Amino acid sequence: MRIFLSGMLKLSRRLATWLTFGILLAILGLIFVAVGAAPPPEAGTDPGEGGVDPAVLLAFPTAYDNVIAFILGLGGLLAVIYGAAIAGSEWTWGTLKSAVARGENRTLYVLGTFASIAVVFAIGIVVATAFGVVAALVGGAIAGIPSDGIGDGAALGAIPEKLARVWVAIVGEGALGFAIATLTRSQLAGIGVGVGLFFGGQFAGIFLPDVVQYLPFSAANAVLATDGAGQGGGQVVQALEPNIALLVVAAWLVSALIVASLFTERAEIAG
Amino acid sequence: MLMAPQPWITPDGYERMTYALATRGLSKRYGSRTALDGLDLSVPEGVVYGFLGPNGAGKTTTMRLLTGLIHPDAGSIELLGRPFERGDRRRLFDVGALIESPAFYPYLSGRNNLRTLAATGPTTPAGRVDEVLELMGLASRARDKVSGYSLGMKQRLAIAAALLSDPKLLLLDEPANGLDPAGIVAMRDTLRRLAAAGKTVFVSSHILSEVQQLVDVVGIIAAGRLVREGTISELLHDEGVVRVRVAPGEVEAATAALALLEDRPRVEVGTDAAGGRLTIHVAPSRAAAINQALAERGVYASRVEAGSDLEGLFLQLTAEAPPPDVPAGPSWAAP
Repeated sequence: MRIFLSGMLKLSRRLATWLTFGILLAILGLIFVAVGAAPPPEAGTDPGEGGVDPAVLLAFPTAYDNVIAFILGLGGLLAVIYGAAIAGSEWTWGTLKSAVARGENRTLYVLGTFASIAVVFAIGIVVATAFGVVAALVGGAIAGIPSDGIGDGAALGAIPEKLARVWVAIVGEGALGFAIATLTRSQLAGIGVGVGLFFGGQFAGIFLPDVVQYLPFSAANAVLATDGAGQGGGQVVQALEPNIALLVVAAWLVSALIVASLFTERAEIAG
Repeated sequence: MLMAPQPWITPDGYERMTYALATRGLSKRYGSRTALDGLDLSVPEGVVYGFLGPNGAGKTTTMRLLTGLIHPDAGSIELLGRPFERGDRRRLFDVGALIESPAFYPYLSGRNNLRTLAATGPTTPAGRVDEVLELMGLASRARDKVSGYSLGMKQRLAIAAALLSDPKLLLLDEPANGLDPAGIVAMRDTLRRLAAAGKTVFVSSHILSEVQQLVDVVGIIAAGRLVREGTISELLHDEGVVRVRVAPGEVEAATAALALLEDRPRVEVGTDAAGGRLTIHVAPSRAAAINQALAERGVYASRVEAGSDLEGLFLQLTAEAPPPDVPAGPSWAAP
């Protein structure tokens, strides 16, 4: 618990936390407001050629799903980077060394630090969702789309479960960045490899869909039963069924934390 | 298992049987390079111990082994009278350490850095963070981000961090790095006070003049091996010399005069072209007595030089030690 609380102190004071969160909010707000401000496509235009119909993205209650799907897609990429930055800095700055030299349990330190990251993700997802809903309302108001469906009971009732799924997915992606940076003992290497795997997985999905759908980032993008609209990381060619995707993501999450813990436990800490 | 400890006679004549820190046959290799080659250290309780050695001699590797950051290939470690093995992390609860450079979160204040560190390892009493900040003269800058600290301030913060758990054994790697003269004096006073309070302070350094003023006992390491260990006065006495220059024709008389001294010191006659140079292996403090002995036999020295200081001894000992993987030879120099 002490390590978790100290992790929260560290993350709350860290520029990377606010920068990552700011990027997510800025892009989210920009997209929803910009779609509302853009002229609607002409009637009969192919959606792929004439831009997005604001009504599809901004009309409630569908807008709830669109906001959450954007957070899942874009948040996943940011989570990889953030997880790698936090884990890598423990090695780069030598702060892990100081904790171990004080007799701290290495595995508990890794897990406590990651637990604080997971809580930061949860807070970030909830706040970003609220912000996205406001952005969708603003975009809708600009486009003249009524917000009648905002109080839709069924849609509102489904939000907690969807956010929980998104949280598991984003925590899983963050854990991969965290584990990669731990293995490479470096912030930059962790971020580079994490981002490379993120986009590499999306690209490989075109050629090896049967395999890639089980890879962490593809599975994470499939935890929500959506049409894929708005997923910032790109659309998965072949997606797992959402509940199976959730299990696959959970397996990747646990595996990543086991790898990070085992490596830290056995590592010779020099430098 | 450690060898039975030998009694240690302190400078004030007390015999100590227990060691705050001891290693036996400690060895560590990095690939094909041997960093430590059977290191035997014996650090008595309640002293300031200076761990000296040239760059690459194995000082930092030793520090890392003593704090469980890395693990030995062979040999054993005893911390505060009990074996320290892989997994014995709780033995470190009574140890404070500064290893290599200070390690902090640059975006946090000095106080918050210590708070995050206090959340690891042993339980730290409330108020201890402010106490050590005050002790190291950082209270007025405690709210500033560490990224704005000078190297000396970071070093003081690192020593404050090492003191957080009020440790019985303090391991400090080059603690004077970056400190200004006033900071060095303050650090020296702090460490001496800690030793006077019964704590053991193990300081690695290459600033020999600083070590000479600070420590009670010295261990000199070269090429991964301990080449000498003892109190400063013992070492300087054992390794001290007085060099005398006399007229070439008086060398024999001088040698005879020195042979009459009560402790019959070893005398080497120089072979340089000028001749008349004698090296007498006695404590440097006996230079006047040597001069007097020569004068009483009618031999008047044209020059008397007393050596060696710690620096001379250090250079002599470390230059003699070959690296573990390289045969001894005149071409080798310490890395």
